Amino acid sequence: MNGLEQELRALASLVEWPEDADVAPAVAARIAAPPPRRRTSLRLAVALALVLVLLALAVALVVPPARTAILDWLGIGSARIELVDELPALPLTAPIELLGQPTTLADARRRAGFPVSPPPRSEPAPDEIRVVDGRRVSYLWRDGGALRLLVTQVPGLLQRTEVLKKLIPPSVRIERLTIDGDGAVFLAGGPHAVYLLGPSGSFEEDRGWLAGTTLLVDRGGTTLRIEGDLTREQAVGLVRAMT
Amino acid sequence: MHQAIAFRIAFVAAGDRADAEEAVQDGFVKAHRALGRFRDDAPFRPWILRIVANEARNRRRSAGRRAGLAPRAAAAASGDAAPSPEAAALSHERRDALLAALCALDERDREVLVHRFILDLGEEETAAALGVRRGTVKSRTSRALGRMRSALGEERP
Repeated sequence: MNGLEQELRALASLVEWPEDADVAPAVAARIAAPPPRRRTSLRLAVALALVLVLLALAVALVVPPARTAILDWLGIGSARIELVDELPALPLTAPIELLGQPTTLADARRRAGFPVSPPPRSEPAPDEIRVVDGRRVSYLWRDGGALRLLVTQVPGLLQRTEVLKKLIPPSVRIERLTIDGDGAVFLAGGPHAVYLLGPSGSFEEDRGWLAGTTLLVDRGGTTLRIEGDLTREQAVGLVRAMT
Repeated sequence: MHQAIAFRIAFVAAGDRADAEEAVQDGFVKAHRALGRFRDDAPFRPWILRIVANEARNRRRSAGRRAGLAPRAAAAASGDAAPSPEAAALSHERRDALLAALCALDERDREVLVHRFILDLGEEETAAALGVRRGTVKSRTSRALGRMRSALGEERP
């Protein structure tokens, strides 16, 4: 690249952009509303966006799969969210090999290659800490043999690639939240499918699992995922205890 | 998120914040209704950026405004924005000269440089946002850079 191009790129940080609005709720509302009569649908969109965001999102979920690409924009952090009518047949718990090798917190942090938050202070120490070099760090708590709580951290948007994919059927409720300034999505009400980016650099369709209630948080350098039988408040409490 | 780049493209094309926001909303809704015409094998982002940019351009035309970034950038040259280390390495005089040369370009030349270097889009997405072919982006970029060099007195042999 030559000097003038580099100088132009350097100018980018000097441009004062107006703050961009989150248009996703209004768009979802308008998609859910019937298309005719422009003036009415605009007014309806505004009303729905203000008052019935959650309901509108739930209604938007019934659009058939081919029409859901637009709602991919509801993705958060480095997680991609796709809305589907039916879930694929997958196991009900995360295949343990996807979570990597058991290790210590210090070693996991060293091998992660991105900022890793500590386990939540409000919980006992994790039963296991697992790491996949440069890709993800997971904390696992077990209850008997079953996985009770799974906290996974993956690199955030800084890498500009999606490393986590979720397929959301209509039965799942999607709530957008802000937790201390960080964007978050709470998924509850039924199972959804989860895929992690495989070593080949693509999502392996046969190696996902069906997850229950999940909270995703975009912490900038890290996308945090908490899966367990939790209320929204409990999940948010765990996030706040991870500092 | 992807919304942010759609909004900035719309802002450059519309020259106004409220119109940019409406353009993004209308663009997304139109895109959703037009998904049946979207080819599954085509990349999704350039397609939707093209729709959003079209919406924004239509608003600018009906309002009779110029494209939005240049005056903003000139205002930013006063030094209020927090510069990146790369920008900080440019002297104030150099920033002023670059912005003046950028603003003095005709709209087509300025647009292509803003999309390629300020918005940091690739050739394909720039072509989509401007509604031109990729080859046109290449030739316009090269010509616009040449004109900037001339304006800066740095013409290369």
